[in-house]
Amino acid sequence: MKYAFRDIIKPVIVLVCICLVVTALLAYINQITSPIISEAEKKATQEAMSQVLTDADSFEEVKIDDCPEMVSEAYRAANGTGYVFILITKGYGGDMKLICGIKSDGTIEQCKTLSHNETSGLGSKTAEDPYKSQYCGKNEDTLNQVNAITGATISSTAYKNAIEEAFEAYNIVKEAE
Amino acid sequence: MTKFVIILLSAVFINNYVLTKFLGICPFLGVSKKLNQATGMSIAVIFVMMMATAVTYPIQTYLLTPHNLSYLQTIVFILVIAALVQLVEIILKRYIPSLHKSLGVYLPLITTNCAVLGVTILNIDEGYTFAEAMINSLGSGLGFFLAMVMFAGVRSVIEGADIPKAFRGLPVTLVAASITSLSFLGFSGVIENLFG
Amino acid sequence: MTLKDNFLKGIIKENPVLMLVLGTCPTLAVSTGVTSALGMGAAATVVLLCSNIVISALRNIIPDKVRIPCYIVLIAGFVTMVQMLVKAFAPALDKSLGIFLPLIVVNCIILGRAEMFANKNKVFDSAVDALGMGLGFTLALFLMATIRETLGSGTFMGFEIPFLIDNNISIMTMAPGGFLVFGILMAIVAKITGGKNSKKSFGCAGCPSAAICGKTACESKEDAV
Repeated sequence: MKYAFRDIIKPVIVLVCICLVVTALLAYINQITSPIISEAEKKATQEAMSQVLTDADSFEEVKIDDCPEMVSEAYRAANGTGYVFILITKGYGGDMKLICGIKSDGTIEQCKTLSHNETSGLGSKTAEDPYKSQYCGKNEDTLNQVNAITGATISSTAYKNAIEEAFEAYNIVKEAE
Repeated sequence: MTKFVIILLSAVFINNYVLTKFLGICPFLGVSKKLNQATGMSIAVIFVMMMATAVTYPIQTYLLTPHNLSYLQTIVFILVIAALVQLVEIILKRYIPSLHKSLGVYLPLITTNCAVLGVTILNIDEGYTFAEAMINSLGSGLGFFLAMVMFAGVRSVIEGADIPKAFRGLPVTLVAASITSLSFLGFSGVIENLFG
Repeated sequence: MTLKDNFLKGIIKENPVLMLVLGTCPTLAVSTGVTSALGMGAAATVVLLCSNIVISALRNIIPDKVRIPCYIVLIAGFVTMVQMLVKAFAPALDKSLGIFLPLIVVNCIILGRAEMFANKNKVFDSAVDALGMGLGFTLALFLMATIRETLGSGTFMGFEIPFLIDNNISIMTMAPGGFLVFGILMAIVAKITGGKNSKKSFGCAGCPSAAICGKTACESKEDAV
C-alpha cells in the first residue's frame, strides 16, 4: 500500500498541484495584463489610422457587403473626413498588411505598410518613402501613374492591386451613404 | 481547392520551417548525418505535427477561445504534445513493434522540437480553418522532410572534403546549411506567378 | 566551485550557444536586429531564472518519475507570464519576437539547466547559474545580431551607420546569413579554444534532452552515427 502511494499517487498529486498553482497564477496575471494589452492594441491601430487620415477625430468600423477580397477592415472617420482601409495582400514572400486612408474627395492621403515579409532591399522598399509617398494625393484614375520598384515587380503589383481594391471598397461605402 | 494547393506549396517551399523560419534546427543539425535517420525522423515529425494539429486545433476553438482562456495556449499545447508523443510511443510499442523500432526512437526527441509547437501555434495565429490547418501541418512536415533529406545528401559530400581544422564538424555544417537555405530563397515568388 | 566560477562558466566556458550549441532556433531567428536579440535574451533569462529558482526549491518535493512534465508545466507557466507582460508593456518587442516568444518553452537551454543543474543544487547556486547562462545566451545573441544588423541593414539598434547604410549586404538579415554568421562564429570559437570545443560534432552526450528521450534513443542514434 505504501509502495503504491509513493509510486503512483504522490507523483499525480504533485503534478496536479503544480498545474493548479501555475494556472491560478496565470489567471491572476492575465486579469491584470489583459486590459492593458487590449488598450495598447486599440491605441496602436488608432494611431496608425490617424496617421493615414490626419483630419479624422475618431473612427468607427463599417461592414461592407460584397467586400473586395483584400480589404480586411474598413473604418469611417466620425467627422466624415474620409475612410481608412486595412488591406491584406499576397506579396513576394507572404502576406503584406497595408493601411490606406482615402479622403472624402476620393484621393489618398497616406498609405503605410503595417507588416510584410518581402525580400529586404528589394520588395521591402514598398514600405519606404520614395515608393509609398507616390500614392499620396492619387485618386482612382491617377493611380496608374505610380511607378513600380525595379526588381520588385511582384511586391509593387501586389501593393497597387490592394490599393485598387481599397478604392473599390471606398466606392461601395460611398454609395451606401 | 487552389487555396489548399497554395497553402501546401508555400509551407513546403517558400516558408520552409527549417530553412527560412528557423524552426526545428536542432534535429536538422543533429539527425541529418545519415539518410535513413533523416527519413525516419522526418516521417515521425510529419506524423506528430498532423496529430498535434488535429488535437490542439479543436481544443483552441472549442475550449480556450469561447471561455477566454487563450492565455493558456502555450501551456496547454506543450502538454498536449508531450502527452500525445508518449501515447503514440506506447501504442506503437504495443501494437506495431516493427514501426516502433524504426520511428520510436525519434518520438521523444520531438516533444522538444520547436517546429511541432510552432506549427500548432502558427495555425491558430494565421486564422486557418481546420482543413487549412491540417494542410499547413502536412506541408510543414513535408518541408521538414525535404530539408532533412536534401541536407543529408549535402552532408555526405562534406564528410569526405578536406576542410580547415577550425571549420570541421559543426561550423562547416552551418555554412552548408546557409547555402542550402540560399537555394530555397529561389522559391519565393513562384506561387504568385503560378496562381497570381 | 566558487560563486564566481559558477557565474562565469555560463558566459565563456559553457556558453550555451557557442559551446554547448543549445537554443539554436531563437539564436538564428531573432538575431536579425540587436534590439530584438537583446529582448529575446532578457525574456529567456527571466524565464530561466524563475524556473531554476522554483525547480531548485521544489527539488525534494517533485517525484523523479514526473519531473519532466512538472518542469515543462513550470517553464510554460513562466513563459506565458513573460509573454503577457511583454505584450502589455512592450508591444513592439512582442511583434518582433513573434512566434519565438512562446517557443521559449522548448528552448533546450531552459529545460537543460533544470535537468543538469537546478534539480541537484541549492536555490542560490541555481539562481547564479541561471543568471550566468542567461547572460551567456544574451551575449551570444548580441554578438550575432551586431554582425548581422550592421552588415545586413547598415544600422545598429536602428541607428544608421555611415557608409554601411549605403552598402548593406541584405542577405545577412535573411535566413542564409544567419546560418553563415553562426557557422563562422563557431569556427572562430573552435580556433580560439584550439579545437577543444566540447561539441565538435552534434552528438548526444551533451544534449539536455538525453535524459528525456531515454537511453534507447541516444544509443541507437550513436550506433547509427
